[in-house]
Amino acid sequence: MTLTRLLVRRHRLLLASWPVLLVALCSTMTAYQDTYATEAQRRTAVELAQQNPATTLLYGRLPDPGTPAQLFTWEIGGFVTILAAIMAVLAAVAVTRAVEDDGSLELLRGCGIAPLQPLRSALIILAAMAGVLTTGCAAAIMASGGQVEGMTVAGAAAFGAVVGLTFLIVAAATVALAQVAPTAGQARLLGFTVLGASFAVRAFADTEHVDVLNWVSPLGLRATVEPFTDDRWAALLPALLTSAVLALTAVRLCARREFGTGLIRRHDTSTSRLRVHTTVGLIARLTRSSVLAWTVAVAAIGTLFATMGSGAVEQQRDGEIGGFLGAQLGTGDPAAGYLAYCGTLVGIVVSAFAILSILAARRAEETGLTGLVLATGVRRWTPVAAHAGVTAAASAVILTVTGVISAMITPAVLDGDDIAVRSLGYTIGQWPAITVMTGCATLLVGAVPRLAVLAWLPLLASSVLAMLGDLLGVPEQVQDLGFFGQVPDVAAENPHAGALLLLTTIGAVLILLGTFAVTRRDLRTE
Amino acid sequence: MTELVVDVAALVKRFGVFTAVDGLDLRVGRGEVHGFLGPNGAGKSTTIRVLLGLYRATSGRVRVLGHDPARRAAEVTARISYVPGEVTLWPNLTGQEILDAFAGLRGRRDADAERRLADAFALDPRRLVRTYSKGNRQKVVLVAAFAAPTDLLILDEPTSGLDPLMEEVFQQCVRDAVAAGRTVLLSSHILAEVEDLCDTVTIIKDGRLVESGRLADMRHLAASTVTARLPAEQAVMILQQLRQPGVSVDAGIDTVRLAVPRDRVGTVLAVLVDANADDITCTPAGLEDLFLRHYEVAAR
Repeated sequence: MTLTRLLVRRHRLLLASWPVLLVALCSTMTAYQDTYATEAQRRTAVELAQQNPATTLLYGRLPDPGTPAQLFTWEIGGFVTILAAIMAVLAAVAVTRAVEDDGSLELLRGCGIAPLQPLRSALIILAAMAGVLTTGCAAAIMASGGQVEGMTVAGAAAFGAVVGLTFLIVAAATVALAQVAPTAGQARLLGFTVLGASFAVRAFADTEHVDVLNWVSPLGLRATVEPFTDDRWAALLPALLTSAVLALTAVRLCARREFGTGLIRRHDTSTSRLRVHTTVGLIARLTRSSVLAWTVAVAAIGTLFATMGSGAVEQQRDGEIGGFLGAQLGTGDPAAGYLAYCGTLVGIVVSAFAILSILAARRAEETGLTGLVLATGVRRWTPVAAHAGVTAAASAVILTVTGVISAMITPAVLDGDDIAVRSLGYTIGQWPAITVMTGCATLLVGAVPRLAVLAWLPLLASSVLAMLGDLLGVPEQVQDLGFFGQVPDVAAENPHAGALLLLTTIGAVLILLGTFAVTRRDLRTE
Repeated sequence: MTELVVDVAALVKRFGVFTAVDGLDLRVGRGEVHGFLGPNGAGKSTTIRVLLGLYRATSGRVRVLGHDPARRAAEVTARISYVPGEVTLWPNLTGQEILDAFAGLRGRRDADAERRLADAFALDPRRLVRTYSKGNRQKVVLVAAFAAPTDLLILDEPTSGLDPLMEEVFQQCVRDAVAAGRTVLLSSHILAEVEDLCDTVTIIKDGRLVESGRLADMRHLAASTVTARLPAEQAVMILQQLRQPGVSVDAGIDTVRLAVPRDRVGTVLAVLVDANADDITCTPAGLEDLFLRHYEVAAR
C-alpha cells in the first residue's frame, strides 16, 4: 500500500490533470441542445452526418434519431475516448517501466518489496484511475446535461463506463507491452502503436460497416455499448475480461524478465562515430530518431484525414453540415475549409512535438548534460538557442513532408479546385503558429524553467478555440485570436499572409527573449 | 610569485536566503595540484560551478585563467576540462560518440591521447551509455577531460565510482597532466588521494574558508601523535616531565597518548627513551587529522 501511495504521490500531476481535462469535456453536453435552432435543422444535420464518410471515420456512426445526447456521445465521446487512451499509455508507462529506468524503483526493491509488488501497485493505480474516470465522466454528464434531450442516467453511466474501460483496456495492454519493450520510451511507442491500430480498426469497422471489428478495438466500445441509444451493459463485459487477461499476462511476463530490461533485449554496442562540431549538430543528432518517428506518424495521420474528406466536401456543396464538422468547414469553398481543418489538426500535433522538444532542453539542464556541454567552451545561450532552432527546423521538415505527401495523394480522392496547392499550403502554413508555441516554450525554459510546464497552455487554448470554439459559443473575435486559424487560402485571389508574418515575428522574438533570459540566470541543476 | 590560474577573493554565492558560499578565497598557481576539501554541502560544487561560469557570483572577485567566468564563460571553459561528481550522459549514444561530441564541440582534440586513455582506464567505448555503470560513465568523462588539450582540469569528486586499480590510473593521469604543465583543482573526499597528489589544499566548511596553504606547512603546524607504555612505578614522575608547553597529555591506565608540536617531538621522545618506556610510536600529522579536526569543529 505504501508503494502504491508513493507512486501516486510521484505522478500526482499526470494522474490528476488528465481526468480534470476529460471530466471538463464531459460537461459540454448542453452545447448540443443549443447548436440547432429547430428540430428540422437538426434532423438534416444528423442525416448528413450519418452518410458522411469523413465524420464516420473520425467519430464513428451516429445512431438514430440523433438526439443531442447521441450527438454528444458521437463527437465529444470520440475525443474523450481517444484522450483517455492517450492518458492510459502515458500513465501505464509512468508507473511501470519509467520508474524502473530512472532507478528510483531499484531503491524500493532493496527495501524488502516483493518482485511483483511494484507491478501490482501499478495495476491498482490504473484500475483506480479507470474508476475515477467512470464516475467523474458520468457525474459530469448528469450534473450538466439534465435538461438535454435524450439524456438518461443509465446513458450517462454507460458513457462513463465506456471512457473508464477504454482507459483500463489500453492501460492493461500497455502494461503488458511494457514487460516486453527494452526501454520505457519504446514501451510508450508500442502503446501508441496499439492506439493507432485501435483507431484504424474502429474507423474501418465504421466506414466499411464491418460491425464485428468494433468488438476487437478498444476505441470501438462506444459503438458496441451505444450510450444514450441502447445502453448495452453486456457489451462492457468482453472489455473487462480482456483487461483482466492482459493484466494477468503482464504479471506472468513480469515474472519472466529481469529488472530494468524487457523480454526483448536491446543491442548495446555500436562502432558508429559522431561527426558534430556545433551544439546545433549535436542536438539535431540527439533528436534525429524522434523527428523521424513524428514525421512518419504525422504524415500518415495527416494524409489519411485529408483523403477522407471527399464525402464531407460533397455534402457541404449540396447543403449544410452542422455541428462540429460544419463549424470547422466554415462558409467558404468546402474543399478549402476541409483542408484548412486538416491543417489545423496537423498543426496541433506538430505543436505538441515542438513543446516536448523544447522541454527536453530543461531536462538536459537539470540532469547536468547542459553543464557538460557548456564546459567545452560553448556559450551560455547556445544550448537553448540550438534546441529552439532544431525544433523550428524539425517542425518545418515534418510539415513539409506531410504537406507534400498529402498534396500528391489528396487530389486523387478529393474533388475540387487547386487541391494539391491548398493541401500543401494549409499544412505548411501552420509553421508560424508552431513557431509561436516553440517561442513560448523557449521563453519559459530560458527565463523561468520552474514554470516550463505552462508551455502547454497556449497549445491547449488555441486547440480549444480551433476545435470547439463554435460549439462552446466563443465570440468570433476571440476565436480569430487562435494561432491555428490564421492560414490564408493560397488559391484565393490575393492571400493575406500578414498574420503569418506577425506570428513568425512573435515566435522569433520569443525565442530571442528566451535565449537572452538564459544568460541572466544560473544553470539549474538537480 | 607564481601565476594564479584560479584567483577567487571574498566569493559570496546566495540562493535566495541560503548562503552556499560566504566570503571564500581560493588561489591555485600554475602547475599545481590543488586539493579542495570540505564536508558534504560545504559549498565545493557551488564554487566550482561559479568557476565554470554556470553560476554567477553574488559578490566577490573571480578570475579563472585571467578572465571573469561570469562574463567570458566560453573563453574560460574552452581551456578547462571539467569532470562533475554525478555524471549523466545521453543514454542512446555510445561512449565513443560522447567523446566525439565533446571533442567536436571543443573544436580541438588529441585522438591518440583519447585512445591511450580509454585503454588505460579499460573503457570499452563501443557500448551504449545506458549499459555503463557509474564508474564507466565517469571514465568516459575522465578520458575526455585528460585527453582534451586544456590548461586547467577541474575535477569534482572524480573517482567516487572507480575501483582501486582505476584509482591508480587516475593518479598517474593527474601526475602526467602536471608534468605537461597543466593545473589541477581536485575536489575529493578520498584523503589518501589528496595527500598523494596535492601540493596545496583549501579546506572549506559551511561556505567559509577554514584553512588554506601548502600541505607540508600545514603538517608542520599540526601535532604529531606519540604513544607509549610507561613503567608503572615511574609513571607519575615521567608524566610530570612530559607536561611541557604545547604538549597535550592523555594518560590511560598504562599507556599515554600525546599530541606533540613538531619542534618538541625530539625532546618528548628523549624523555620516553630515558624512562625505558615500551611500545613507543610516533605518527606525523596527516591530512586525516587536519580534516577531522575541522569536521569535529563542525559537529560542535
